[in-house]
Amino acid sequence: MMEDAPALFIAIEQSNLGASIRQSSWAYPVANIGHIVSLVVFAGAVCVMDLRLAGAFAAMAPGPLIVRARTVAIIAFLGLLITGLTLFAAEASHIVLNPVFQIKLALIALGLVNVAVYEFALRARVAPMPAGMPMPATARATGILSLTIWIIVAALGRTIAYF
Amino acid sequence: MTRHAILAVTLMLSAGAASAHHGWGSYDAANPVTISGPIQSSRYENPHATITVSSGGKVWTITLAPTSRMTSRGAAAPVIAVGKTVSAYGYVSTVQKDEMRAERITVDGKTYEMR
Repeated sequence: MMEDAPALFIAIEQSNLGASIRQSSWAYPVANIGHIVSLVVFAGAVCVMDLRLAGAFAAMAPGPLIVRARTVAIIAFLGLLITGLTLFAAEASHIVLNPVFQIKLALIALGLVNVAVYEFALRARVAPMPAGMPMPATARATGILSLTIWIIVAALGRTIAYF
Repeated sequence: MTRHAILAVTLMLSAGAASAHHGWGSYDAANPVTISGPIQSSRYENPHATITVSSGGKVWTITLAPTSRMTSRGAAAPVIAVGKTVSAYGYVSTVQKDEMRAERITVDGKTYEMR
């Protein structure tokens, strides 16, 4: 199976970094736990942003709430990235061919595109809105779509080990 | 009555979950096998230790457990050293040729649980 993987990913797995992660008694479990903890924080921040966009928490103005939650989400995403790359490096040639992992990466890309859609097309409208004002339909759709994407991403992440 | 039914279903589900660990569709849990032979190569690494064993004219890749669990069960690296004779009971992969996931292994008359 390993021979089927692109050379780059075989090289990552066989690198000193890949080997040290596998051979350490703590690196892999720490990355594993770190990935889950980062996910929990990320999911919390994403829920706040997406539920606000979907129309919940209407008593709070969306702009300041989303800005603060976004900072937490970015830090947690970096944590997910670092721990995820650690887990990936240990088994790169197998994981890169895993169909669930491939779908997960595609959905992460879609989730980030959705962030860009908000930033460039919606933020100017949503951020200055006062508390209690109904959300535009596009903002609601973006929030629900985002929440759906990230929940599926989390579920797929857990599923990689089973395929 | 209802409580007994709930208990029975819960037990069945948990038994199913235990036997299907990392095994949804990719390991043939209905047909367990025992592979015995000399260890050809041994990797005491995370996320799972692996050994290759020659048996019946084939070289089997046998996936064991995370190293921390191996150690706590008494199966430190020397237990699965190259040259040792191992007997591994487990499930054959339906995806990767000649790969199996061990439920337990026996080395030098001692059995170590991997799950």
